[in-house]
Amino acid sequence: MLGYVLRRLLLAVPTLAGVLVVTFLLLYVAPGDPVSEMVGERADAETIARLRAELRLDDPLPVQFGHYVGNIARGNLGTSYITGRPIARDLAERFPKTLQLAGAAMLLATILGISIGVVAATRPGGWVDRLSLGLTYVGISFPVYWVGLLLILLFAVTLRWLPPSGYGGPEYLVLPALALGMRSIAFLARMTRSSMLDTLSSDFVRTARAKGLRERTVVIRHALRAALIPIITVVGLDFGSYLTGSILTETIFSWPGIGRYVVNAISRRDLPAIQGAVLFLSGVFVLVNLLTDLAYAKADPRVGRG
Amino acid sequence: MIGTVALAATACRGGDSSPARRTLIDSRDTEDPRSLDPALSTDVPTGRAVAYLFDGLFRFTPDARVEPALAERMEVSADGLTYTVHLRRNVTFHDGRPLVARNVVNSFRRVLDPAARGGRGWPLYPIKGAREFSEKKSETIEGLSAPDDSTVIITLAAPLSIFEKMLAMPVASIVPDSVPENFGEKPVGTGPWKLVEWKHDDYLLFAKNEGYFGGPPKMDSLRARVIPEPSTAVAEFESGRVDLINVPEAETRQWKQTDERKAMLQSVPGLRFIYAAINVTRGPLADARVRRAINHAVDSRLILDQIVGGRGRVANGVIPPLLEGADSARRPYAFDAAKAKALLAEAGYAGGIDIELWTSQAAPYPRIAETIQSMLQPAGIRVKIQQRDAPSVREASRNGQTDMHLKTWYADYPDAENFLFPLLHGSNTGVGGNVSFWKNAEYDRIVTRSRAERDAAARVGLYRQADSIAFNDAPMLFLFFYDELYALQPWIKGFVVPTIFNGQRWTSVVIEKR
Repeated sequence: MLGYVLRRLLLAVPTLAGVLVVTFLLLYVAPGDPVSEMVGERADAETIARLRAELRLDDPLPVQFGHYVGNIARGNLGTSYITGRPIARDLAERFPKTLQLAGAAMLLATILGISIGVVAATRPGGWVDRLSLGLTYVGISFPVYWVGLLLILLFAVTLRWLPPSGYGGPEYLVLPALALGMRSIAFLARMTRSSMLDTLSSDFVRTARAKGLRERTVVIRHALRAALIPIITVVGLDFGSYLTGSILTETIFSWPGIGRYVVNAISRRDLPAIQGAVLFLSGVFVLVNLLTDLAYAKADPRVGRG
Repeated sequence: MIGTVALAATACRGGDSSPARRTLIDSRDTEDPRSLDPALSTDVPTGRAVAYLFDGLFRFTPDARVEPALAERMEVSADGLTYTVHLRRNVTFHDGRPLVARNVVNSFRRVLDPAARGGRGWPLYPIKGAREFSEKKSETIEGLSAPDDSTVIITLAAPLSIFEKMLAMPVASIVPDSVPENFGEKPVGTGPWKLVEWKHDDYLLFAKNEGYFGGPPKMDSLRARVIPEPSTAVAEFESGRVDLINVPEAETRQWKQTDERKAMLQSVPGLRFIYAAINVTRGPLADARVRRAINHAVDSRLILDQIVGGRGRVANGVIPPLLEGADSARRPYAFDAAKAKALLAEAGYAGGIDIELWTSQAAPYPRIAETIQSMLQPAGIRVKIQQRDAPSVREASRNGQTDMHLKTWYADYPDAENFLFPLLHGSNTGVGGNVSFWKNAEYDRIVTRSRAERDAAARVGLYRQADSIAFNDAPMLFLFFYDELYALQPWIKGFVVPTIFNGQRWTSVVIEKR
């Protein structure tokens, strides 16, 4: 198992190197001038030329790239052109908040999604099943932006149970986690339902029932565990994408996470911030995928041995 | 379901009872300030926060006048070159150090220092030797000296009547000597508020400066929240958790509909000009008749009413009505499609022309662009819209690659010169702000003269003359001047909506117990 993990981690190095090159080239060819964004609306050509020279933006591309890679290799993500703050510190400040939101959304999605799915699968065609089908359609097809505003309007403005937006105690986490997790809840419910329906009609479940096990034990210990593989896939993928920043949710709920950081960096053409953030987030994504694969092995021992 | 929620929301208003807090809460910032270092103040959130923490020699009032701040008085020599500034005495920085004249000299040096990477030296370039210093051609700034602790002598390279206003800009704030590396995070100024904490992308918290020379602010603290989504700011306002909001354009009508909501509104004419620069170096746009045709073909009044809720005045030049030099008698281009067609034909384009209109993706510009497109169509002007993100549009427009560029100009200081000079003077083409690439010798001569003119009445006359030339030659599609519209909680007293972004420092604002 340890060997497998090490091999996977080693494989991440070329992936990240690729990300580095592609981001660098993309930013180089993208329109928009970082210095232009530094000086604001009114400037003069001399100042712009001086800043370009100081930031070495006029150096040949390979020289710029070498300079950048050299810094990365020394563990230095550089400082922002716009704020002058170290990128690493900016990321360290925001990532825990994104992690918190993603974690809460995923927790909510896993508990609600799987429960709805299991109940719906045990009584297909029943009212829970039909209700969940309706709700999941809503969850999948309604845009986050709209769901988010609706949640704010209902729970914060009208009922005044929760704050509309901002970062703070657990009460601040509920609405954004719900808005963000909505799609996963719906997906997981559908996924769990169909996966469970398959396993519930399989031979080993019949055997378990024939042994005289209680229905609850059959469903949870035997059927659900066998149905877990596709569920883990969805959880892993969604979690990975939540961790790389949920721009809309963070914007609507004024959540100071990494998604907004990246968007701001892009809209100000803050090259070191964009590069640093993309590199960091790619690393996170690789790591989450690895953890997902390890979870497969845990759920189904056959995976690890293959 | 949506209908029910919306109804329920309307039934229940924020502002039923005054909050117990002694903290004022602002919601206007949609993004984090760049820094709290005055040398980096190139954006609105930064400039606003810098105005809380620091003072300049002068400052803007909410109604866009200029008044002395750290300067007690100032004498200007007869030739308009030498400014002798007498500093207010007994002013201390937040860390207890006294303010001395040397700080002024060093603060300006710091902004102009080529190592600073601030990129905003231009408000101080008028000082003799400033440019040379910032270009590393000189070790000292010739025109700056502090003969004693309370006197600063500033010598300009050439007379500039509006220099006093430039000294009220955030970038000209006075900072203590030997500031640390992280000054942008841990600022120390003389201003009415001290920084308590700054949670990036979340909020800035300020506490009142008890020792403020103008008297401490009336409330204990001020929280400037960063709320990127306007609809969220509205929800925060309705829950009573923020004290004011910038009413979103799209919701203007809704706010004016009920008396209860209307009572919370406060509006002032702003120093914002919304227009579409016409690049006069590109094809048929070189002909003034074509540019006038564009102005006649577009119904600015309709755009103003339909897209921005009637918040503003149709532009009759580049000078907002609030500023001296604006000519209230000049009538905007009349909406007249037939005349537009005739002008085009006269210019030799009876078959119409094809142009590209560039716009950013930020609301409400794409909608305005689409409306302009549909209005120009019947006049024979076929418009292709190029919608990109703001930096891409800015780059293309500064490089002269756009036929027309829909944009806004915010004043940095309240003076007609801030519109006439950067937007249209021949020396400012491209990055300087003149993306019409218009060069008119007579206009340039008049504007240059107005900048040096010390007699106020004569200067205003020159402004008016220049504005009239620009209006007739139409190097832009004149759209409208924007009105600021805020909603204030009923418990907030003493807040005057600022005409200029950094004109309100909350010092006399209170939360009134009812």
